[in-house]
Amino acid sequence: MGKIKSLFSGRLTASMLSLWSILIVLFIITGLVDHYFFTIPSIGVTFQLAVPLGLLAAGQTICMLTGGIDLSIAMIATGAAFIVSIKSPSGLGMAIFYATLYCILIGAINGLAVGLLGMNPLIMTLGMNAVLIGVFTVGITTFLKGSSTMPDIIIKLSTASIIDPISWPLVLWILIGGFVLYLLKQTGLGRLIYAVGDNAKAARLAGIRVWKVQLTAYILCALLGGLAGLMIGGQSGAVAMSLADSLVLPSVAAVVIGGTSIMGGMGGYTGSIMGTLILTVLSYLLATLNSSEAVKQMIYGAIVLALAWTYSKLTEKS
Amino acid sequence: MNMMLVKRQSWNIGIVLIATILGAWQISRLPVFGSYEARTFLLGILPIALLSMGQAIIIIGGGINLAIGAESVLINCLAARFMVGKSFIACVLLTLLFLLVSILVGALTGLIISKSKIADIIVTLATSFILIGLAMYIQPSPGGGMNLTLAQMISGKGSAFLPPLITLILPLVVIWLPLYRSRTGIAMFAIGSNKDSAFLSGVNVDFTRIKLYAVGGLFAGISGIALTAITLSGSPFASISNTATLNSVAGAVLGGVALSGGVGGLTGPALAALILYFIPTILLNYGIDPAYSQIITGALTILVVLAGGLIRNRGKKN
Repeated sequence: MGKIKSLFSGRLTASMLSLWSILIVLFIITGLVDHYFFTIPSIGVTFQLAVPLGLLAAGQTICMLTGGIDLSIAMIATGAAFIVSIKSPSGLGMAIFYATLYCILIGAINGLAVGLLGMNPLIMTLGMNAVLIGVFTVGITTFLKGSSTMPDIIIKLSTASIIDPISWPLVLWILIGGFVLYLLKQTGLGRLIYAVGDNAKAARLAGIRVWKVQLTAYILCALLGGLAGLMIGGQSGAVAMSLADSLVLPSVAAVVIGGTSIMGGMGGYTGSIMGTLILTVLSYLLATLNSSEAVKQMIYGAIVLALAWTYSKLTEKS
Repeated sequence: MNMMLVKRQSWNIGIVLIATILGAWQISRLPVFGSYEARTFLLGILPIALLSMGQAIIIIGGGINLAIGAESVLINCLAARFMVGKSFIACVLLTLLFLLVSILVGALTGLIISKSKIADIIVTLATSFILIGLAMYIQPSPGGGMNLTLAQMISGKGSAFLPPLITLILPLVVIWLPLYRSRTGIAMFAIGSNKDSAFLSGVNVDFTRIKLYAVGGLFAGISGIALTAITLSGSPFASISNTATLNSVAGAVLGGVALSGGVGGLTGPALAALILYFIPTILLNYGIDPAYSQIITGALTILVVLAGGLIRNRGKKN
């Protein structure tokens, strides 16, 4: 037993080591390209920008550990930001309440469809994303007409720094990230999530209500996505339909680079945090390059692929 | 013997029945129905039908290609960018060249999936970014064109509905039938049903997968060329590629291809495109806002996959 345990942690350190080295190499390259990057405020900003992706990746980690995936997370995030910006004139509390309700509703529909009806999670959430794009495209000209600016308190919570490089969003991420880590590693629900992802059939035979675990996972994912949406909205100041579009691939990529298996049951949030930091430094590096959006998108896709590939090869050997 | 045939084709017969009912409904609302209207129908389904067929080949082989829409958009942009103002002969040669490009793109995707052993979803999600970036780089804004004679050979003109019908059926006869009857065809169903058993029975899993992705890419390429011939322009938008990918999956599943792999054919997906075309058209005819079309596409995909899965499960239990 002890042998197995040491073997397991040994593999874990090897993969964490490779993630750290990738991050450090990227960090140094970025610093060499842009000297401003090594200053304290710049590192603070980089952390700040990592927070929305970190939250999305947390949701995605939970989903993927159960063997699912949530590609509707972009419109969950955007929708939550829309609802808060429109409802905030009538009180922030109510606005947050409605946004939470929205996240729970969409997460529950995803979770029930996957858990009870046996829908393929990929198709379910892709379809859900299309439906939500439609709903909000129609909505902003009809029933969701109104302000598109975020309330000041959310802007402050998602941008204000306390002492450089520590900022409010970073503190929030540490709190919520800590909670997710605790949830996955220390609680019964965390165990159930791993069990369901590892082998849903065995989990069901062991008496686990698999659909309830999946439902919870998708709701948690949606709630984390909604929070990320508020952060992105706060950082850009206003809400737009394409708010979180560019973060869907990174949210999946951060989790995969971090070593969580898309088949479920293997991995954890620590890796996803590393994946988030790597991708954030990478997009900073790409932003310093003077190239068009098209080129950036190509490089980004290629590097994500290369990172996922390198990582899978590294962990395969050890 | 006859009963066997009916049983084997029951899914396709069901699709034809539904499509006929919907078609009759739609036709009954038109003042006249002649060859001009028939051509309009065909043009409406052509790109999606071709894309669904390409997706179907990959899904039967146990994979999924989330970049298939992007592949089609890339070929669309390539064709529109380089064929504008060219002579007929030059355009034909370019068409062949771009179809070769689409095969190579597909084969490369398959190669990466085989070599890296990363899940299809992750690889194709990343390549979709690369391909859309490439399309945006080639054709930064909507525009371009194609030689009119060639365009009319592919998509017809006025009331000539035969050219688009041939464009739809020709790939089915020239590409799918030989593939279906070949060793690769058998290997395709084998690796889709159970990759490990196929490998142990001596099937070259990796090479088969590369071939399937290449053929899938070819179908996406034909779809892109057809799109160029219909619209006479190239549109480098991620939203188009996302919708197309979603539709291709819906078309494949509605056409009787199981998402778990190893089951289905290409006639079903080609016919299913009719249904995917008729339902939104009929709904829009009843005065529903065109902005809702995205909701309809998304919801339809979810319902189709859900119904497909439920019917299949019931069949298994019987």
